[in-house]
Amino acid sequence: MRSTLSGSRLGGALGRSALVLCVAGLSFGVVGQAAALDIPGVVWETNDTDPPIGDPSAAKGGTFYDYITSYPLTLRLVGPNSNDAFAGWNRSFSMNMSLILRHPTTDRYIPCMATHWSIQPDHKTVYYKLDPDAKWSDGQPVTADDYLFTNEMMRSEHIVDPYYNQYWADHFEAVEKLDDYTIKIVGLYESWRPMEDFGMFPLPRHSTQLGPDWVEQANLVPGVVQGPYVISEAVSGQYVVFSRIKGWWGEDKRYFKGMYNVDKIHLKVISDVNAAFDFFKKGEISHYTVTSARRWATELDFPAVKNGWVHKKRLFVDWPQGLYGFAMNLEQPIFRNKDFRKAIQYTFDFDELNNKLMFGAYYRMASCFEGSEYTNPRLKPYGFDPRKAREHLRAAGFTKRGRDGIFVDEYGQRAAFTFTYGSKSLERHFTVVKQKFRRLGIDMVLQLLEPGTAFERGLERQYELTLMSRTTNFYPSPKQYFGSVFKKTTNNNNIWSFGTARTDSLIDIFEKDMDRGNRIRAMAAIDSIVQDEAFYVPFWRGPYIRFLYWDYVRWPAFYLPKRTEQYLDWQVFWVDEARNTRLAEAMKNGTSLGEDLEVDADPYGVKARLESGDNTSVLGQ
Amino acid sequence: MWKFQLDPVTAKRFQRFRRIKRGYIALLVLATLTGLSLFADFIANRRAIFVWHQGKAYFPTFTFHTMAEFGQKDEFGFDDLEADYVTLKATLKEKGGGFVVMPIVPHDPYEPDFNYPEPPPNPPDSRHLFGTDSQGRDVFARLLYGFRISIFFALSLVLVGQTIGTTIGALQGFLAGKFDLFSQRFIEIWSSLPFLYVVIVISTFVRPSFWMLVVILGMFQWIGITFYMRTEVYREKTREYALAARSFGASRRQLIFRHLLPNCITPLVTFTPFAVVAAISTLTGLDYLGFGLPAPTPSWGEMIDQALQSENRTKIWLAIAPFSALLLTLFLVTLIGESIREAFDPKQYARYE
Repeated sequence: MRSTLSGSRLGGALGRSALVLCVAGLSFGVVGQAAALDIPGVVWETNDTDPPIGDPSAAKGGTFYDYITSYPLTLRLVGPNSNDAFAGWNRSFSMNMSLILRHPTTDRYIPCMATHWSIQPDHKTVYYKLDPDAKWSDGQPVTADDYLFTNEMMRSEHIVDPYYNQYWADHFEAVEKLDDYTIKIVGLYESWRPMEDFGMFPLPRHSTQLGPDWVEQANLVPGVVQGPYVISEAVSGQYVVFSRIKGWWGEDKRYFKGMYNVDKIHLKVISDVNAAFDFFKKGEISHYTVTSARRWATELDFPAVKNGWVHKKRLFVDWPQGLYGFAMNLEQPIFRNKDFRKAIQYTFDFDELNNKLMFGAYYRMASCFEGSEYTNPRLKPYGFDPRKAREHLRAAGFTKRGRDGIFVDEYGQRAAFTFTYGSKSLERHFTVVKQKFRRLGIDMVLQLLEPGTAFERGLERQYELTLMSRTTNFYPSPKQYFGSVFKKTTNNNNIWSFGTARTDSLIDIFEKDMDRGNRIRAMAAIDSIVQDEAFYVPFWRGPYIRFLYWDYVRWPAFYLPKRTEQYLDWQVFWVDEARNTRLAEAMKNGTSLGEDLEVDADPYGVKARLESGDNTSVLGQ
Repeated sequence: MWKFQLDPVTAKRFQRFRRIKRGYIALLVLATLTGLSLFADFIANRRAIFVWHQGKAYFPTFTFHTMAEFGQKDEFGFDDLEADYVTLKATLKEKGGGFVVMPIVPHDPYEPDFNYPEPPPNPPDSRHLFGTDSQGRDVFARLLYGFRISIFFALSLVLVGQTIGTTIGALQGFLAGKFDLFSQRFIEIWSSLPFLYVVIVISTFVRPSFWMLVVILGMFQWIGITFYMRTEVYREKTREYALAARSFGASRRQLIFRHLLPNCITPLVTFTPFAVVAAISTLTGLDYLGFGLPAPTPSWGEMIDQALQSENRTKIWLAIAPFSALLLTLFLVTLIGESIREAFDPKQYARYE
């Protein structure tokens, strides 16, 4: 899957995607108010009443084993090659902690590097009081200067990172130091989420030699970090070990209690996910995320599972899904006809694919903002309905069947189009779809291209039907997909060439209106319009994390916070040494610990909600 | 037109080939299989071969008949979908009023069969003797149609390639001089292009069709044979019979096609079977990599790709079918090639010490 303009790099820029914040229009039930500390007119806010993110009773210590698919090309988090899978771990464990967090379960702001904040009425300026306890891994304090340095460094050409350069140029007007522990950040535009749009992480001025050779120099040197882990060992091509800093400054902070529990995280390089599964079965890694529905359904009855040595869990989480489905090109004659588009919607048989090819593991999407609070809850997917499909085909002029069984209209035009895609692994789904279409009189010609070319064909609108697949941030970004300004040009995410004055004004409300209710209503309207225009056939999603772990790994009762995209977003697990001994004993004697039969975990009611046909995500609790 | 007369030596060689049992039998088997594959639509198909329904005869193999024509309806009440001949056969058997002749294997290589409790691929059983693939399609049907495509692709490609190659090689040898010099340099450059990559690059822009693939691969296929034809013609044109023909006033065309080529046929005949082997392997390889014929064309490469998917590693029938078919075909062609080579070997009675 290609990430978009709002892909994983943005997450990096703001901390990490799961740590990114939040809604200004949100009401803060329990926000503590401190007295104005030193700036006149500034009312400081904080939050010291939400529950901790993890389980405070978690034990510290032990080693956790996992894998990465390739050895990192660099240990930097900025500059060339700094966005691979390892960087995800690196960000998550050691660096890029943002000023404040959005609590991943309650959705409210909580302190992180800053203890207090104050959003100004201009919707651009935010004041922060930094935590005076915060220390770099070399013992130096984290101060306002480090934020000024971030602002300098991210704009510098020495980092050879056009993405960050551009991001900074597009978002920040100024970063000012008021005293050593107070800063002011001014954004370039009004925003209803200024702490998210203009969020920042510190970089250590005292240990960075920013210059033309910085990229080279910092390449393989573990950086000085503010997070709880440092890279303690790295053997090229084999493994990387993160070690927890003894007496890390954040250890006793309210929201970090019960997080970052294990002493060592050992990341083995295993290039193939299937091989990694075998490593897991041998007990060489502690945890394994199962991405294949077939594996989940058919390969997880190995003895260790039966003996209760390994647990399997399907945890339902509440994280938005991006756009994923068929996209029709409205510039192509055949898809200019709305009835034909609707005929396609009704001919697409998700249930057959899901039940016959995917073990019934997925849920159909209906909205283009699926799983976010901006989903229109009244939207229902079209669903397979050949009768309605036929009505629309007729209305589109396709009234008689040609000699090959494909419908033709009175001008001899066939109900046929080419489907351009780059995903070979989905080809078996598409051939089944093709057969279904064919039987019902529509000819879909399959055209598999090299993934990059297929992606470009989409952006350049050189296709009739294509596969749209985009990840999303916590907040949807409708403009890049539906803004009519992008119709005039190509090479953008408005790949269907859609946009009307009406949707433009609705998008404007979403981007600028400070009232959350107005924004939600506007987005619901966009959602309905897009569904009615029928140029996007949403596919499916699995709003859960399927994972396996050995018995010595323990989790809080809720496993992971509600807003979790991947399990490493929040390190709330711990290693239980007593259970480790017990497990070793049981494995030696071949005794069973009793199979864990509770596979599904739904602490946030996501599964229950989906099965009642509700696709929305509820903000807060 | 010119009369292409085999010289007696070559004719003798073909007789010798017939006497090499293994090669001759392999040729017969392969020819039979190829011939049979032409009738694949009558061997494995969802459409009936013949329907006798209410006093009317139908031959639906290549034509589309709606359900309405046989009084059928699907579960949504549509009667203009394609007729379901398997059900029709059962109904007619029960109620009379006609009969249906179905192919031996009542499956085509495209339609998924989802009438199993488990998702596909499903192991071989009485309904699908070779099992179904990961889309629920009949493996035997795909194998059969895949064979037809492979073999005819290979034959077309080799025909195109060897024709061009022979012509160019012969011209080089015959004209010699500047033409030979420059065309030989061109061939050297051209042959250094890695053809597989060229095809892959082209495939990233367009999904090639059967003939397009023949043309693209044909652009590289012809090179190999030119070297042999060139040297053969170089040698043959100085022989007395060629000089004699020339002195009798034979035209260039007559000289090349009537006199020289029949005497240069040895490399062509001996290399062609191996070119077929290479062509089949190339198509299979391209399909395996996903750069060959577009889905859902039945193809051995695609079948092998499925079989090698890690999620199918326990689905052994997916691997057995295409691998044994590929093995058998290549074995047969190689046998033929070996035998031809032996039959055409001038050192028939040579002794090595």
